[in-house]
Amino acid sequence: MLSEDQRDALQELINIGMGRAGASAAAVLGEFVQLSVPRILILRPGLIPAALERILGSEPLTAVRQGFHGDLRGEAVVVYGAAHCRELADLMGYEDLLEPGAERELLLDVSNVLVGACLGGLAEQIRAEVGFSAPSLMAVDEAAASLIDVRDVDLPCALFVEVNFRLEVRSFACHLILLLVEEQILVLRNAVDRFLEAL
Amino acid sequence: MSPLNADEPGGFVADHLDVGVFAIDAAFRVTLWNRFMATHSRQRAEAVIGRNLFECFPELPRGWLERKVRQVQALRNYAFTSWTQRPYLFRFDHNRPITGGVDAMRQNCTFMPVRGEDGSVSQVCVTLQDVTDTAIAHQALAASLVELEREKAEQQRLIGELEEAHMQVLQSEKLASIGQLAAGVAHEINNPIGYVSANLGSLKRYLDDLMKVLDAHLELAAELPTECRERVAARTAGIDVDYLRADLPQLLGESCEGLERVRRIVLDLKDFSRMGETEKVPADLHRCLDSTLNVVANELRYKAELEKCYGELPEIECVPSQLNQVFMNLLINAAQAIEERGRITITTGSVGDEVFVSVRDSGCGIPPDELRRVFDPFFTTKPVGSGTGLGLSISYGIVERHGGRIEVDSTPGQGSEFRVWLPLHGGAD
Ligand SMILES: Nc1ncnc2c1ncn2[C@@H]1O[C@H](COP(=O)(O)OP(=O)(O)O)[C@@H](O)[C@H]1O
Ligand SMILES: [Mg+2]
Repeated sequence: MLSEDQRDALQELINIGMGRAGASAAAVLGEFVQLSVPRILILRPGLIPAALERILGSEPLTAVRQGFHGDLRGEAVVVYGAAHCRELADLMGYEDLLEPGAERELLLDVSNVLVGACLGGLAEQIRAEVGFSAPSLMAVDEAAASLIDVRDVDLPCALFVEVNFRLEVRSFACHLILLLVEEQILVLRNAVDRFLEAL
Repeated sequence: MSPLNADEPGGFVADHLDVGVFAIDAAFRVTLWNRFMATHSRQRAEAVIGRNLFECFPELPRGWLERKVRQVQALRNYAFTSWTQRPYLFRFDHNRPITGGVDAMRQNCTFMPVRGEDGSVSQVCVTLQDVTDTAIAHQALAASLVELEREKAEQQRLIGELEEAHMQVLQSEKLASIGQLAAGVAHEINNPIGYVSANLGSLKRYLDDLMKVLDAHLELAAELPTECRERVAARTAGIDVDYLRADLPQLLGESCEGLERVRRIVLDLKDFSRMGETEKVPADLHRCLDSTLNVVANELRYKAELEKCYGELPEIECVPSQLNQVFMNLLINAAQAIEERGRITITTGSVGDEVFVSVRDSGCGIPPDELRRVFDPFFTTKPVGSGTGLGLSISYGIVERHGGRIEVDSTPGQGSEFRVWLPLHGGAD
């Protein structure tokens, strides 16, 4: 689906986008954010649960989903381990013990920041206009393999971009996964081609 | 982008949308306030625009809102709130004050960056959507879900109880029908046993007499002339009188023993069918236990170390002879479960308004698949002759008639514990 060159270029674009994302997330969170080098996979949807399990292990997970639309369409999923949810409260300046409602709001908020930063960064690189829907809670304390129900995903393949966030001072970490459907991969490919031509 | 102007078409739409729209600048001064916001907050645009948002609405969650807006400015990105986590941003009345059952308008908010010419963001536009109807429907659904879950759990519990009751009914029914059968059989067998045992008694006496006659004859035969003795010897050749004399009483003794065993089984059966005494009197279970221990002392002595851990027991209403039989069954089973030498522990005590007597052994234990069958009449794993398979089912019936129950806990290879629970104040009957 992507040539070697296109793939490298896409990796590069995503790297730059994510770099910006790290900077703006740090500005909001007030802490230095480390980002892993994004991993890009093109997968059949049926393989997504297995990929998630390989990346995330077997601990119970909490996940937030957020749709994006415009020149790029797809879904972003931010996945947290149970222990890391609690770190967040502190991070975002909620001093008191969180009631479940507030804890969830916080999760949604942080997810929104991360997704917005990453996709915003990427969109800027490829000059795409992207809008966001409100994030929603997708799973609470579920196994990685059952996070995404692929039974009703009727697509030949999906782009799977995985980034890890880590805060320098705290043990907080989470994973961001972008899922793009096949036609959107073509959009990305065109953008990549434009990028390569401009070089 | 400049704040939307109500005189322009876009501004007109923003003003007349059924959605709250307002905007603020970097200093949180209101730059846009549409009609929805005005009518619901009862603050006209002229009264709000240009003023600090928190000044106009001091009840707003200031720290949180400031963070949210700074986020949008820094990231130039959307942000959201959902009524499920934060019911509302502004406390507005909602359109169902009477039938709704919620205290204020539920709101979903979207925070949008307003980009200036240079791409920087200083203003943030907020839309506020009235989702009260959805929220009410959602709450009703959630409530009925909870109710359904509760009902489901309740049904599950009832099914469990029914199953248990069903098992108990089955067990009592089995016992009852076997009891009837047993009563009949016991009655039928009692008669022949009666006369066979009477006959055996007579036979023994007759035999003694016959022996005396034989002795006399043998003694006198010695004095007979040789010719006569030879004729007698010829006619009794091949008969070993000494052997007969030794074996006959033994045969007879064994027959009596066998008969005694039959009689005991019949007695068991009779008990099983609830014959005999049934009157309840206050009794000291420790006394019952001790007298039972006296009776079975011989059977236990060679098998086990006996340990008594008696707790405090008040007197209870019971039929002591029947409980004796229960304890005897348990103790004998315990001894029989021990191969070489082991330990039998008797523990008593009370919990709430129940007392318990537990007999624990270090014997062979009971495999899980047999555990549910040990109370079945005629279930036995013992060789013919040493087990009737009635002991536990009789005990079960007796304890049940006392309003109590028997619990078993067993680990194959390590031992078993049979625990008899009885109510303090006699059960039914
Ligand atoms: N303490 C025990 N340890 C191991 N097995 C036991 C024990 N008590 C009862 N059982 C098992 O339950 C069966 C039924 O016991 P019971 O009704 O007293 O009949 P019986 O003793 O005549 O076999 C026994 O044959 C034995 O297999
Ligand atoms: Mg027995």
